Amino acid sequence: MNVNMLLVTIGMVLATFMTRAALLLAGQRFKLSPRVEAALRFAPACALAVLIVPEVLVQAGTVNLSFDNPRLAAALAATAFFLWKRSMVGCIVVGMLVVTAFRFV
Amino acid sequence: MQVVAFYRNPAWQLELRQGVRAALPAAPGVVAWGLVTGVAMVKSGLAVPWAIAISLLVYAGSAQLATLPLIVAGQPFWIVALAAFVTNLRFVIYSASLRRWFETYSQRRRAVLGYFTGDFTFAMFMERVRREGEFAHRDAWFLGACGFNWVVWQVTSIVGILAATAIPSEWGLQFAGTLALLALAIPLCLEWPGLAGAAVAAPIAVLARGLPFGLGLFAGIVAGICAAVAVDAVVGRRKATVQREGDELS
Repeated sequence: MNVNMLLVTIGMVLATFMTRAALLLAGQRFKLSPRVEAALRFAPACALAVLIVPEVLVQAGTVNLSFDNPRLAAALAATAFFLWKRSMVGCIVVGMLVVTAFRFV
Repeated sequence: MQVVAFYRNPAWQLELRQGVRAALPAAPGVVAWGLVTGVAMVKSGLAVPWAIAISLLVYAGSAQLATLPLIVAGQPFWIVALAAFVTNLRFVIYSASLRRWFETYSQRRRAVLGYFTGDFTFAMFMERVRREGEFAHRDAWFLGACGFNWVVWQVTSIVGILAATAIPSEWGLQFAGTLALLALAIPLCLEWPGLAGAAVAAPIAVLARGLPFGLGLFAGIVAGICAAVAVDAVVGRRKATVQREGDELS
């Protein structure tokens, strides 16, 4: 039995569980001010933006804002398709098709 | 009279199924992310049984990837745990946002919901309560969406772990996950505050990408929320003015 790996696993379980559940478990003992509570409704838009945009713009460590960046072209095409059809699956398919097309061209 | 268990309630079960259905379109993205995470864990040198154990128990893709170099380098467990905590800081914001919607549920239910929270399901749930407020059996809906994501992610992650050598990383599969998130983000950015929040959060995350353990992401989210609040206040004031002028005319 690898004791260090066991401790690592337990440590990671506790650490990630705390981030996700501590405030939920605090429940009514952790009341935020109404202003902060209202502000948190914008958390999804901001969280999604920081997860998406670096993945799209950063290529091998540097920012690539030109259209020869396959992911940027794919994200724009996927956005256009989503605005048109409102389909998440379509958004994924179109984006992956564009990225794949870049690989073969 | 016997008390019927909550999960036997047909309305609860219906919401559970609705949750699964809501999470369904994101499945291709979750599949890609799961595969890539599984492959990365093994390719970095983690033993297969430990990779499976971490996948099943930790269930935090970005924290698992960020801590891989530390684990492989044999860093002490508390360093790895600290790194996992910091990488997962955005979930503190998620759980702060979810708290008010679940405060009336039992401690155990909240612990389960917390464990299962993911990026996709958080954004989906917040969108639903934004539209409908405190709908009944929201725990079932959240559990359905999260549980479905969990199963899909675990199956594909373990496939990735077991078939690591057969899946080349240059396929760029994980981009499918990004595209699924994109589909969730677009509707939120069709309103001024959401757009402003994203427009401030994203460049900060890009510029601060060199910071360790995704701290740049956390900084971006916090700044973005502030920007969204500011723009929301301006939009609200303008609406109030238009309303007042309309009232005076009528």
